Amino acid sequence: MVPAPGRPAPGALSALIIRCLHGLLTAWAAVTVTFFGLRVGAGDPLAGILAQGLASPQQAEALRHSLGLDRPLPAQYLSFLTGLLRGDLGRSLYTGLPVLRVIGGQLPSTLALGASGLLVAVVGGLALGTLAAWRKRSLWGRSAASAAALATALPVSFTGIVAILAFSTLLSGRAASSLYALRHLALPALVLGIASAGAIGRVVEAGLSQSLASPYVAAARARGVPSGLRLLWHALRPALPPAVSLIALEAAYLFSGTVVTETVFSRPGLGRLLIGAILQGDYPVAQGVVALAALFYTLSHILADLVSLGLDPRLRGKG
Amino acid sequence: MRAHPTRTAAFVSLWAFLMALLPACGQAPGQTETLRYGLTLVPTGIDPHLNASAELGIPLSSVYDTLVFQDPGTGAFVPGLAERWTISDDGLSYIFELRRDVTFHDGSRFDAAAVRANLEYVLDPDNHSQKAAFMLGSLESVEPIDEYTVQLRLREPYAPLLDSLSQVYLGMASPAALQEWGSSEYQFHQVGTGPYRFVEYVPNDHLTLERNPDYAWGPSIYASDRASIQRVVFTFYEDRATRAIALESGEVDVIGEIQPRDAARLEQGGGFVTYPVHIPGQPLQYLFNTQRAPTDDLRVRQALTQAVDRPEIVETVFGAYSPVAEGPLSTVTLGFDPGTPYPPYDLPAAVALLEEAGWVDTDGDGTRERGGQPLGLHIIAPNWGSNPEVAQLLQAAWQALGASVTVEVAAGFGALKESQAAGEYNLIGVNFFGTDPDLLRSTLSSDGLYAWTGYRDSRLDETLLEASGTTLDPVHRSALYAEVARITRDQALLLPIRDYVNLVVANTRVQGLRFSSQGWFPLLVDLRLAP
Repeated sequence: MVPAPGRPAPGALSALIIRCLHGLLTAWAAVTVTFFGLRVGAGDPLAGILAQGLASPQQAEALRHSLGLDRPLPAQYLSFLTGLLRGDLGRSLYTGLPVLRVIGGQLPSTLALGASGLLVAVVGGLALGTLAAWRKRSLWGRSAASAAALATALPVSFTGIVAILAFSTLLSGRAASSLYALRHLALPALVLGIASAGAIGRVVEAGLSQSLASPYVAAARARGVPSGLRLLWHALRPALPPAVSLIALEAAYLFSGTVVTETVFSRPGLGRLLIGAILQGDYPVAQGVVALAALFYTLSHILADLVSLGLDPRLRGKG
Repeated sequence: MRAHPTRTAAFVSLWAFLMALLPACGQAPGQTETLRYGLTLVPTGIDPHLNASAELGIPLSSVYDTLVFQDPGTGAFVPGLAERWTISDDGLSYIFELRRDVTFHDGSRFDAAAVRANLEYVLDPDNHSQKAAFMLGSLESVEPIDEYTVQLRLREPYAPLLDSLSQVYLGMASPAALQEWGSSEYQFHQVGTGPYRFVEYVPNDHLTLERNPDYAWGPSIYASDRASIQRVVFTFYEDRATRAIALESGEVDVIGEIQPRDAARLEQGGGFVTYPVHIPGQPLQYLFNTQRAPTDDLRVRQALTQAVDRPEIVETVFGAYSPVAEGPLSTVTLGFDPGTPYPPYDLPAAVALLEEAGWVDTDGDGTRERGGQPLGLHIIAPNWGSNPEVAQLLQAAWQALGASVTVEVAAGFGALKESQAAGEYNLIGVNFFGTDPDLLRSTLSSDGLYAWTGYRDSRLDETLLEASGTTLDPVHRSALYAEVARITRDQALLLPIRDYVNLVVANTRVQGLRFSSQGWFPLLVDLRLAP
């Protein structure tokens, strides 16, 4: 039977289901490792909670009991997992606020930053990669290739400070602080996106160079497909699936990149929430953020698979 | 040629628009009314009754009034929401007569029932208070005697009680608001009686206060009757490198915890003033583990103390702004005793002490041995407050003395406690801040939560207990803490490094910046912004 055009074959569909199950397993593993890792690596949460309050040993034990931290670890893990299945991530040890509410307060800011960062990464990466492959021998092509290489190498903590300095020097004093949106979204998104743009650019360049040299591009040219942009699209389409997979990876990477970006730019967000929760021992919050990150990671990979299937018909036949 | 009339009009209006925009860029509307204050870490929870962070007190000590206030100059307690008070001779009963003219920001009246509601809220185990609940000693009951008189009863005397009641953690909140919002949500809807009222808190983003125009019951330590700056907006700068930039770009007017290098540079450049704020409590210090070789030997602890050039370390790591610490309490703390200075840097004396204790480099490899065992030291340093840099310099000093030294950096308090619990350390960095010297009990009393020296001495325990409880007389308490300082030094229980100084830098528009006796908290009511 010939599959209907444009729709994944049954084999691809079951592959997707397996992918989903893998994703769930990954998410469970991440959450479990976090649960035990925090308690082994970062120590007793009560120590952090009491770091600035001078309790007597008796008062400390009373607080431990009222927070439920004296229960055996397996019991705590079990109630965490059952809560997770119900969509209940527990409550912050410090404030008693539901973890979902704490995360909900920070999520929009991280989503805005991550999405803008991803936009910068994708647009920048495609532009750099295409330019580098298409005009390989010109100065433009070579500069694009070097820019992509440099962008991947610079850490956000460095580019961020440079960007803030440049921003406040160019627009001195008060003017700088009144351009709120630019300072608090565009600049961090640029800094965050640039590193990923470099990586995406290099993959696009590699794929495009290969397909530009391939027989079917030569054939297309012989058939009279006009050179220039149309030919470029011809060559670019098969070069995209690896880039799309990378973009999915980069989306997850951007999520981790927000940690540093948010700190450097003093932006609210999940990254800072996570770091604070780990350092101060607010484990339910840290676990919640990791659970969410695992879910996001899984979903972005499934999405990438779907997009690749849509882009490259050759992938559809393969189980 | 005639200019096109509509085009000319367009140019003119564009020009006018740009001109109108220009001052707006340089000066946002109402700018003289708004002070922007940079905070350095985002507290996890900002209800002072339940959470413990010092950072939360920077905004909130102006939202709340306390029953009494401590004069930052003299250390004396002065009337606040309580006009006068009497303490029974046995120290078990405190009767406070309250002001009758005080209203909360929500319009409700402050009275004796409010005091009881606040202390009950703090002590309710379901609210998980992380600091305030431990500041009340053995508080047994809070009973209103009449509408404006309230009695606090203790099971045992507790000298720091007035000090506790003067702090933001026991600031008086509107019982109606506590009731309405409950312990988790109240932090976003705080209602006090102070010179500023709480407007909004968005975690990791900002916290806004607005002037309380009705404020008329300020304590004598406030120079102004009510606040002059309309609005104070607090934002967060956790990354040290971004703080000076925030000042220079005009994003904030004031910010604390500036690095010494940046403070000097900002002041030199003009337009900024540095306020070195001394924080009472314990200095940055390393506790010796007296239960583990080789620091179980007093002579070794003394030798290590004398082999360290503390002024040199302080100068290297902290620059010119920090005093060298001279005991278990920083110099600005009640009970600090100038009569027990620490032994000065004396390398030959240190070498003599080690050799007397039997530690000699027999095989000439640069490390001393005794009975075939090398002189090994393990230091646990917290990753905050420049502790890792200090630990490195200690390592170098003791290596020069012939010890083999390892340094372990603990990321966060949980990790510090975890490393401590393993017991494999000779020195560990830990210190607490506070105005009352009773905080020493946690680290120096053998049953303290942080009794990490492992040292047991009934005389030290009894002295600390007596200073905490049986006497309320400040002169007698000071004598007892001098005794504690003497024992600590003679037994070489800890190595004090430097008194904590918070470097606050403000631009020159900010006038009248003063801090409470705890050091961290600005008296916002007295601040003014020059035009």
